[in-house]
Amino acid sequence: MSDLEHEKIVSTGRTLVGAVVLLVVLTVASWGVAHLDLGAASTPVALGIAVIKASIVGLAFMEIRAASRPARVVAAITVAFIALLCTGTVTDVLLR
Amino acid sequence: MTEEEPIYAEPQSREHALHLGMWVFLGSETLLFAGLFGLYSAYRAWFPRAFAEGVAHNHAAIGTANTLVLIVSSFFVAWSIHALRRDRRRTCLLALTAAVLLGLTFLGLKTLEYSEHLAEGIAPGAYYSSSEVTAPGSQMFFTLYYVMTGLHAIHVIAGLTLLVWLISRVARRRTTAVRHVELELSGLYWHLVDVVWIFLWPLLYLTR
Repeated sequence: MSDLEHEKIVSTGRTLVGAVVLLVVLTVASWGVAHLDLGAASTPVALGIAVIKASIVGLAFMEIRAASRPARVVAAITVAFIALLCTGTVTDVLLR
Repeated sequence: MTEEEPIYAEPQSREHALHLGMWVFLGSETLLFAGLFGLYSAYRAWFPRAFAEGVAHNHAAIGTANTLVLIVSSFFVAWSIHALRRDRRRTCLLALTAAVLLGLTFLGLKTLEYSEHLAEGIAPGAYYSSSEVTAPGSQMFFTLYYVMTGLHAIHVIAGLTLLVWLISRVARRRTTAVRHVELELSGLYWHLVDVVWIFLWPLLYLTR
């Protein structure tokens, strides 16, 4: 990745401010949703919001798009392993 | 090869290698917490009532305040990097100091929560003696709560140590607009601490 390309994808001040505002809004939304009676959907909804928040942190604060290709592969493998763990756990619970 | 001879042909190669090493480390840290999340999920499926009662008993206001505190501290760390890249050393120092103060606030609130729990007999493992939360499996919920939040708090302390060290380096002009890879790497670590808490918060304080 050239320096010019790198400069294009590191977060700007506006991106950082937008990200923190969005994260605060999603935190408040998560708090609000927790007080609704969603039944069995409450946990998936809360975790869905958490995934969106983690993605915002990864993209805006950790600048994952500016990381080198090997670093992005490491991040992708980590996410894949977590997905495997989640799938195994959920399957185990559903098939009991 | 003499000691003075650089290992890398260019400084940029060294920075790329350091970044890759950090991402591998963060991957291993993430999988460490993922194992605990897996354990939490398995026990929650086993003891749904105890986990619901445990979550209801936890201080949602403290947990939510700590979520906001860590998110804003993460923003300040990102802002410190943004500022130093533009050679705004004073802004960088202010942002890092704000992040440290917020990190200390997080630990203060956690200590308050732990002390209230312990006063109620909510202690980990065999020391559990609560008469308020008594459903079968409650002891397991709170043991996992202490292990997960305790391990996370250790990471917060490690991150704070790095941030204080960086404040010293930036103040002494050892970390500069030209050379600041240590700030970027420590920032990545602090953001991971934030991400882990983003998942701990709903599981321990919100979802019943």
